[in-house]
Amino acid sequence: MSLQAWCAFIQASSVGTAIRESALVFPVIETAHVLAISLSVGLVLLFDLRLVSAALRAATPEQIVRGLKPWYLAGFAIMFATGGLLFWSEALRCYQSGAFRWKMAFLALAGLNAALFEMKYEGRIGAWSERIPGGAQAVGWCSLVCWAAVIALGRWTAYRLG
Amino acid sequence: MRAATAVDASSLGAVLRQSTWMFAAMEVAHLLGLALLLGTTLAVDLRLLGAALRDQPVAAVAEGTRRWNTAGLLVMVGSGALLAAAEPLKLAASPPFAIKMALLGPAILYTYTVQRLIVRRPTPAFVARASAIVSLTLWFGVALAGRTIAFY
Repeated sequence: MSLQAWCAFIQASSVGTAIRESALVFPVIETAHVLAISLSVGLVLLFDLRLVSAALRAATPEQIVRGLKPWYLAGFAIMFATGGLLFWSEALRCYQSGAFRWKMAFLALAGLNAALFEMKYEGRIGAWSERIPGGAQAVGWCSLVCWAAVIALGRWTAYRLG
Repeated sequence: MRAATAVDASSLGAVLRQSTWMFAAMEVAHLLGLALLLGTTLAVDLRLLGAALRDQPVAAVAEGTRRWNTAGLLVMVGSGALLAAAEPLKLAASPPFAIKMALLGPAILYTYTVQRLIVRRPTPAFVARASAIVSLTLWFGVALAGRTIAFY
């Protein structure tokens, strides 16, 4: 089955249809998706801002990760769960939407950026106090740009799918 | 209502309505501001609750996020004002919008007065927690009411 056919299939499924046609369920899921931006991106951006020395300078990056990780992981879990349900209800329309595709591309980039950071700096982040390595700063900037793009494209997708 | 009609009839209202790009850009800005404002608010309130960043003094978390909290608020108020100027009649008749505005003033006032005092000095745990709960209720109340505008 092609990706497009698969999207058409899940959109037409009983769960997808139920979500899409309900007066309450879709708005509630969408609301949770938007509000959980604060718990996910809203917290992670504090770590990124620290990497570029623009916020929470009294804390080390390691302290920020340790202090916020459970919360932003919960936030991202909510984003993926609600996002998945929203997608389920409109999979084909999302597939056909350029804005949505770009959103997914930037989401993947954000994930890749985070994975590369883990691979390269895992275990070494504790040694940073004053100077943040250039590579880590680049990761911070990339993350900020990617998440801003994901949010913007998410709004644009909603606009298009109306 | 008169103010709403006046804004609606103004050239600003016309420009914002005609330019779908402008309106969409303001909505995007409003969401980016939300990430900044609510993210920083969450960091401070979670710390006050003793639920995050526990190895940092409360004052340090507040001080370390203050400029971004303010920047987020300015972006939200600025983009929000322009969004409202594009649809003043619709918003003037919208109950969720009325609720949102009724909560916004207290939220800003609370954050910049009471909460500011509380984060700066050592406070009993229950005061800190109560303050965090007030703050979160006000700000997420604003966000929830705002989200509901579209569904009316």
